[in-house]
Amino acid sequence: MIKPYKLKPHLCRFCTFYKTGDSKIPAELLTFKNEKPSLEGFPYPLPSKKSDYTCFAKTGDIEWYGASNGLTRYDKNAEREEDIVMYFSAPRDLLDNNIKAIMPDGDNVWVLTETGAAYIEMKLIGAEEKADILLDETLRVVSRRGMVSQKQLKEARNLDSAVPYGHSDNDGSFTSGYAMGEIFRYATFKREKGADHPDTLKAKVIATNAVEANLLLLHIHSRGNGFAARTYLCADEPVPDDGLFFRITDGKATCLETTDSIKKGVNGVVIDASAEVPARLAKLYTDLGYTINDIVYKADTSSDEITHHFLHMLYAYELLACDDPELGELIKISAVGLMNHIIDHGYELHDFTGKPTSWAKWSTRYFNTEFGWVDGALNSAQLLMYLLVTMRITGEQGKWREHYDHLVNDLGYADMTEKHFDRLYQASLSGEFIFVEDIMYGDHMLAVLAFTGLCTLEKDEKLLAKYRKGFKAWRTSLEREHNPGYDLPYAISCPDDEIDFERLAEWFYRTNASRLAAGVSLEGRHDVPVKNMKLGGKEISILLPPDERFISKYDRNPLDYKNEDSGGVTVVESCYVYTFAYWFGRYYGFFE
Amino acid sequence: MNNKLHIIGNAHLDPIWLWRWQEGCGEVLQTFRCAVDRIKQYKGFVFTCSSASYYKWVEEIDPELFEEIRKLVKKGKWVPVNGWWVQPDCNMPSAESFARQALYSQLYYYEKFGKICKTGYNVDSFGHNAMLPQLLNNGGMRCYVMMRPGMHENPEIPENLFWWDSADGSRVLTYRIPYSYCVNGKNDIDRELPLLKERAENTGHGMMFFFGVGNHGGGPTKGDMDYILELMDNGYEELEYSSPDDYFEEMCADRLDLPVWNDELQHHASGCYSATSMVKQLNRKAEYWLANAEKWNTVSAKISNLPKATEEFGKAWKEVCFNQFHDIFCGCSIMEAYDDVRDSMGYAMKIAANEENKAMLKIAGMVDTWLDGVSDSQSLNARHHCRNLKFPRPIIVFNPNSFEVETPVRTYHPSKKVEDSNGNSVIFQNVRSSRSNDSHLDTVFFAKVPALGYATYWLWHADSEYIGEYKAKSDVSANELTIENKYLKAVFDGETGGIKSLVTKADGVEYVGGEFCIPTVVDNTEPDTWAHNIFKFDKVIGKMSLKSIELVENGAARAVIRVKHTYGGSYLTQDFILAAESRHLRVKCKVLWQEALTILKMPVTVDGENPVSTYEIPAGFIKRPCNGEEEPALTWGDITAGADSRKGVALISDAKYSYDCPGNTLRLTMLRNSIFADHYSDRPAADFNYCDEGLHRFEYAIYPHAGEAETSGIQKLSAQFNSRLVAIPAGYHKGELPREKSFISISKPNIRLDAFKFCEDGSGDVMMRLCETDGRAVRAAIVCDIADAGFYADFRKFEVKTFRIDSEGYVKETDYLEGIVED
Repeated sequence: MIKPYKLKPHLCRFCTFYKTGDSKIPAELLTFKNEKPSLEGFPYPLPSKKSDYTCFAKTGDIEWYGASNGLTRYDKNAEREEDIVMYFSAPRDLLDNNIKAIMPDGDNVWVLTETGAAYIEMKLIGAEEKADILLDETLRVVSRRGMVSQKQLKEARNLDSAVPYGHSDNDGSFTSGYAMGEIFRYATFKREKGADHPDTLKAKVIATNAVEANLLLLHIHSRGNGFAARTYLCADEPVPDDGLFFRITDGKATCLETTDSIKKGVNGVVIDASAEVPARLAKLYTDLGYTINDIVYKADTSSDEITHHFLHMLYAYELLACDDPELGELIKISAVGLMNHIIDHGYELHDFTGKPTSWAKWSTRYFNTEFGWVDGALNSAQLLMYLLVTMRITGEQGKWREHYDHLVNDLGYADMTEKHFDRLYQASLSGEFIFVEDIMYGDHMLAVLAFTGLCTLEKDEKLLAKYRKGFKAWRTSLEREHNPGYDLPYAISCPDDEIDFERLAEWFYRTNASRLAAGVSLEGRHDVPVKNMKLGGKEISILLPPDERFISKYDRNPLDYKNEDSGGVTVVESCYVYTFAYWFGRYYGFFE
Repeated sequence: MNNKLHIIGNAHLDPIWLWRWQEGCGEVLQTFRCAVDRIKQYKGFVFTCSSASYYKWVEEIDPELFEEIRKLVKKGKWVPVNGWWVQPDCNMPSAESFARQALYSQLYYYEKFGKICKTGYNVDSFGHNAMLPQLLNNGGMRCYVMMRPGMHENPEIPENLFWWDSADGSRVLTYRIPYSYCVNGKNDIDRELPLLKERAENTGHGMMFFFGVGNHGGGPTKGDMDYILELMDNGYEELEYSSPDDYFEEMCADRLDLPVWNDELQHHASGCYSATSMVKQLNRKAEYWLANAEKWNTVSAKISNLPKATEEFGKAWKEVCFNQFHDIFCGCSIMEAYDDVRDSMGYAMKIAANEENKAMLKIAGMVDTWLDGVSDSQSLNARHHCRNLKFPRPIIVFNPNSFEVETPVRTYHPSKKVEDSNGNSVIFQNVRSSRSNDSHLDTVFFAKVPALGYATYWLWHADSEYIGEYKAKSDVSANELTIENKYLKAVFDGETGGIKSLVTKADGVEYVGGEFCIPTVVDNTEPDTWAHNIFKFDKVIGKMSLKSIELVENGAARAVIRVKHTYGGSYLTQDFILAAESRHLRVKCKVLWQEALTILKMPVTVDGENPVSTYEIPAGFIKRPCNGEEEPALTWGDITAGADSRKGVALISDAKYSYDCPGNTLRLTMLRNSIFADHYSDRPAADFNYCDEGLHRFEYAIYPHAGEAETSGIQKLSAQFNSRLVAIPAGYHKGELPREKSFISISKPNIRLDAFKFCEDGSGDVMMRLCETDGRAVRAAIVCDIADAGFYADFRKFEVKTFRIDSEGYVKETDYLEGIVED
């Protein structure tokens, strides 16, 4: 029995920026004089070196200290330990870190820095309210015909300046994650508010749109063989030089010239594209005036995409399709098509070359390679999950059961699911990297989805015990993140293990209400130890709250010391990191 | 399938065992010379050898030979293993000792050979604590070779090759030697090689074959080398000269699904944790003293011009590390060797004493203890420092622990009144001194001292006419057989001298559930010094008889009941001390033991269902079944029982390492009087010497608590029991420091400061080693103004973390090697 944790409204940062010379900067800020703070005997670690602090201001009981490398907020009465001392840094919270003056404005502060000013507000925001704000931002800025990954901004921090295009290698994964969050949101509203409540109906539309966008990726290539595209572009979107792209024309698809296609010798290759895209899914582009002949899709799809697709189809089928039989049927044919493709190709996803794609291999021949041996623990779990999901969605056992039993009994796949930690650790010894520090963070979500599917669908006690053991083998590395998107699915899968809800609460409380990918300054932090990594680079030694660390999807090291991949102030990411975790938790009763 | 047999040419060298260290040192020189010759004579041969201290001997005595070895190491012909000073006992050294074993050794290897050891290697050590994977990882080692216990002693531990995990999440790839670490001679080779070959075929992975004359050294002989070459030419193609490093590298490249073990590796020599009490006591004392003295040197050097003593501490720790060698620390070497051990540990502790004294006096000299008028002209009698009757005498009390401690401390003169620096009277008592001179009285007073800090107290001499009588209020009361305070009431049995009732007054819970503090004598005739093949000491041959029981002190600070027992020609005197507001009984013991082949145990019994025994181990604790097997532990053991409301009693000791727990009774093994180095009890008639014969002085404490051991606060209590407050008489002077100060703040009670020292590279950077003690993950805030540092640290359960703080106060997380090697 889950005892719900009460997520209270919590302070959230909102920062508005003004460059030097902007008339909106109050004149008195420019000449404002602060005293130097007296920090001798200060009882907590401070983000800046004590001697670097030059200015001090108070808003009520809150004290603000300005230094040459950022702003510190001190609330000695804060209810939660991690909120006592907060750090604000550029470019996320400030234009630059060199604080010249701090001027109180009620509970808020104006902060003058070298290159301008920031107006910092701390607003009480509820966890659901934050999910709504983030969803609105995603729908308004990030969504690309229902697909959500990230969008580039023409102008720094200006969300209205988002370019209309922008794809991701993992549009299928990210959109599936987003879709799952929205499916849980819909199911929660339906349960709590009733099916006909306007909020529920609105949630249904959003969730359905997300599911359709995902399903379209399983058909857009028109190959008719159950393949899955990574993403697709329409006629007016530029084709990036990043991977293998096919342009569809009159039932054929031609491989476009890219560095990869030239390298692989497939530039100009023409393949079949005559299969029909289901009309309901095609509406996502036809309603915008495009036809199939306007489509360019991306191939060489990875297991990341497939794993996300399958679990997303499970939840869509269970929670959404019950009110939408047509959607249910689309999910069914999509799952069957994809599953058949994998089975028919020896447990691999084969591309137009007749060979497996780079990263979608679940076969023993892959597991018997040096790299595949390590991957086997995760990929075996993925394939078993696909089969269980397919059985569930189709309501049939037959072929799926035969393959499942074959994998379990003849090929040892269920046993292999337990071996993640052991095999990766062994690889770390021969590769001379440190497990669990130097790890592939992108695998975390894959493991969570694969094992959540397995642990919630498998009814055989012996197999369930293996899958739980397999999930626990990931715990050491998952625990480094204290991410509810991982920990909550883990909690329903392995209910005998304890989850630290206080740490999860911190994550919800301290996630910003925008997914602008502006970074933070960790290099000058005096209160955060740094660690040299065995393979080079550095890592911070403690897990900072999300609003003080680099932004990421479910794919990056949250302990990154430097983050070149965050995109910075000209990129907005999708809301799904937050909304998936929050609505999953709400749906399963972890939160009030 | 890779079924290669890796031939590991080695020489197991016991620097002390059935010989003294001088002979061991000579043997190291000879063995190393021989090994160099073998490498030159036999193509492809690789020699493996552990223990940095041996290399250091060779470097100092035979630099030419050392230079040859350096070249061979560079070529991969000579492989140093085990980045520790010796192959220590792997149960009794503290977590900090394991850190020092790695620190001094790996840095030595790095300096001399340009690389550190990748493989841990303790082939003869008698048991391996459950946290060893972490302690090895932190010292740069991720693979491990061990042998004991053998399969006949513990068949549950996986054979051959397995993953060994510790509770913090660390892991080492471990090879368990199946037969012997020093095969030599044709017969033994012929017997072992086919067995290893069979194992390789059955497991599907390679095995290591350790050959070379060992224990007293020697290494591979020409005869053995020639015979192995013959075997290679005649059907044993799978034989290959190798090293543990190469073996593990090859195993890691193979795709192996190996078993996982996540417990300790016990038991082989269960008697080793109690034999020869002297070496145990010296080790405990030296470990704490050195760690504490180095903390004070660091503090003092940061705030004054006191020189850093890093090099001196290195010298001292290396002595301690050497004496942790398994045959020394386990008490199974010859009697004469322990004279050397005493000298060596004395040297180490003299360094600790010197450095601690210098540091404390330096700090004390900076404290403002000036009292107006104190320099006015007075009679000589009134001005004598210890007898300044007109003014109170300042005593500065130092607390080396990383948490505030309030406990009684002793100074060597009687007092009329004691005040803290705010002028508040504190509880004190004039107690009988150890001397028979002047007043015969010392002062015991309550000091409350902040974390890694000091507090100044003011003692008015008992003869002073300038202060009125002061009667401190106290919660202590006593009569002939009862002592109590507001928390505890202990009632002694006038017949047995044991405790017949121990009650926590707040809840009225009775903790005596059977035999309790009645000293018990156990037969030790059959076991040899190690107690080979014997895992329980359960043949009780008698109880010590009560000779006297008396109330010897009953004051404001404490009450003391003295219980004297006798047995044969031996006696045990125990002072049961209950201090004001204390939740534990401290027991000061003096034993004169003259009973050959006996064991003395001190039992406590708690009634209730589901008894669980818990013991401190390096960097953590472990729960073990209450099956009566003798168990190693560090400073405390605990028995907890009860169906719903659990209750327990912990025994804390300042010198002991061994317990057993048959059912609901936990027994501290106070001494074990075996014949020195009695191997398999082969005893010709002789006038033997016994390893625990004579006078023993030590202390233990009895701590009753509700709930499980790990939530009882036992870790803090045992830390302060072994890291006592130190009282320094100060003069009257102006100073820049306040009368009370803490030099560190750690926000979580389950984070303990194990080391506070300067970096070994001479940079002046400060090192801080912290350890989680309660088995629960936590984030802690650490503030240390003298290092200009304040930082947060996340700990997994039982995790040990080392931080390096630069001159600007920026912090880097490193490991035992202080970031020197990684740079």
